Amino acid sequence: MMNYLFSIALLMMDGIKYTLEIFFVTIILSMPLGLMLTFFRTSKIKIVKAITGFYVWIMRGTPLLLQLFFFYYGLALISDNPLFREALTLSRMQAALVAFVLNYAAYFCEIFRGGLLAIDKGQYEAAKVLGLSKKQTLTKIVLPQLLRVTLPSISNESITLVKDTALVTAIGVTEILYFAKARVNADVNASAYLVAALFYLVMNFVLTKFFAYMEKKYSY
Amino acid sequence: MKMLEVKGLKKSFGDLQVLDGVSFSVEKGETVAVIGPSGSGKSTMLRCLIDLEKADAGDIMVENEFLMQDGVYVQDKKAQQICAKMGMVFQSFNLFPHMSVLDNLVCAPVSVKKEPREQAIQRAKKLLQEVGLSDKADVYPSALSGGQKQRVAIARALMMNPDMLLFDEPTSSLDPQLTSEVLSVMKKLAEEKMTMVVVTHEMGFAKEAASKILFMCDKEIIAEGTKEDIFDHPKDRRIKEFIDSILS
Ligand SMILES: Nc1ncnc2c1ncn2[C@@H]1O[C@H](COP(=O)(O)OP(=O)(O)OP(=O)(O)O)[C@@H](O)[C@H]1O
Ligand SMILES: [Mg+2]
Repeated sequence: MMNYLFSIALLMMDGIKYTLEIFFVTIILSMPLGLMLTFFRTSKIKIVKAITGFYVWIMRGTPLLLQLFFFYYGLALISDNPLFREALTLSRMQAALVAFVLNYAAYFCEIFRGGLLAIDKGQYEAAKVLGLSKKQTLTKIVLPQLLRVTLPSISNESITLVKDTALVTAIGVTEILYFAKARVNADVNASAYLVAALFYLVMNFVLTKFFAYMEKKYSY
Repeated sequence: MKMLEVKGLKKSFGDLQVLDGVSFSVEKGETVAVIGPSGSGKSTMLRCLIDLEKADAGDIMVENEFLMQDGVYVQDKKAQQICAKMGMVFQSFNLFPHMSVLDNLVCAPVSVKKEPREQAIQRAKKLLQEVGLSDKADVYPSALSGGQKQRVAIARALMMNPDMLLFDEPTSSLDPQLTSEVLSVMKKLAEEKMTMVVVTHEMGFAKEAASKILFMCDKEIIAEGTKEDIFDHPKDRRIKEFIDSILS
C-alpha cells in the first residue's frame, strides 16, 4: 500500500513543476500588474478609470475556467486572418499563464484599492510638508503601508491560487491533478486523489506559515 | 525681518467661503497664536500657507518671496522650495506608523536633502534628547502616548531645519497632562526664538508664550494684538463672547 502511494507521488512529481510554475509566475506578475491597475482604477482621468473598472468587472465577474477556455480554444478564432490566428494560438501552458495573470491582477487591483483607502490622508500631508516628492511618498510611505495592510488578503489570495492551479487540468496541462485523475482512471483506485490533496495541503501549509511570519515581521 | 506676510487671502470650498480677506504678518523669531471659534477657518488659513490647500485670491509671501501673488501661485518647483522653509505639526500627529521613531526623523532629511544617514541619525538622537525621548528611538509610533507622538512629530519637523513652524491644534487630542509636556517643548522653542504660528485652543499657551495673538472669526482676522489687547481689553463683542465661553 505504502509503496503504491509512493509510486503515485513519484509520478506526480512531474506535474508539480507545472503547478509551481503557474503559482509563481502568477504571483510574481499579477501583483505588480494589479498594483498598476489600482493606480489606473483610482486615476483622475475618467476614461482610464472607467476602462480599468470594466476590465476588473469582466475578470472578476466571469469564471476563471471560462477564461482558460477562452485563451486556449477561443482566442485564435476571433480572427479569420491566418497570420493572426497563428499569432494568437497559445500553447496550453501559455494560455494558462495568460488567463491566470490577467485574472489575478484584477483581484489584486481590488485588494490594493481597498488598502489604499485605508491609508490616512494625513500620511500624504505629512510627506508633503516634509518635502518628499510624489515618487518618494509612494515608495517610502504609501507602498510599505499598503503591502502591510493587504498582507492578510494577499495570503488569502495565494491560498486560493494554489487550489485554482488545478483548473488548468481542464485544458490539458499536465499538473498534479491531471496525473491524479489519470491514475484513478487507470487503476480504478481513488488513492491518487488523496496524494494530490496532500500536495495541495502541504503547499498551503508552507504558504500559511510564510505569511504568518511576514505579518509578524512587518507588524507595527 | 518679516518671515511671513499674508494679504487679502480668500478661500472657498465650492459655495462655502471660508476665508474672506485674511491679512497678517509674522516677524522673525515671533510666536503667533491664532485663536477663535470652531469653523472660523483657522486650519484652512494655516494649510494655505504651506500649500496643503490652494487659496483663491491674495498674496502669501515667505521670507520676501512670493508663494502666491494676486491669487496666482508660483511654479511647483519654486513653491516646493518656499514651502521647505516651513514645517508643520498636525493635530493628529501623522507619524509614519511603519517606521521606527528614529526613521521617522531621518527619512526626510536623507531622502529629500540627501544628508548622509549617519549624520542625520546623530542629529535625530540629539533632537530626541531635547524633546525628552532618547529612550524611544527604536520603538514604533504605536507604542507611544499621544504626547510622546506629538513631541516626535515636532522633532521630525525640526530635522528639516525650518525657519518657521506651523502648528494646527497640536494638543487638542491630548489630555491635560500630555498637553503640558508638548506645550513645554513648544515654549522652549519660543524661547529659542523659533518663528511659530500656532492655532490653538490653549489660552494658557497663547497668554504665556505668544508674542502676538490673532483672533479669527467669521472668515477674517478681526483682532490682532498682545495678550492684554485681546484678553484684557477686547474691542469686539465676539472676542468677549469667545473668551467667556472658553472660561466657563
Ligand atoms: N476640505 C474641505 N471641504 C469643504 N469644506 C471644508 C473643508 N475644510 C474645511 N471646510 C469648512 O471650512 C470651514 C472652516 O474650517 P476650518 O477647519 O478651517 O475651521 P477651524 O477654525 O480650524 O475650526 P476648528 O477650530 O474646529 O478646527 C468649516 O465650515 C469647514 O466645514
Ligand atoms: Mg481646525
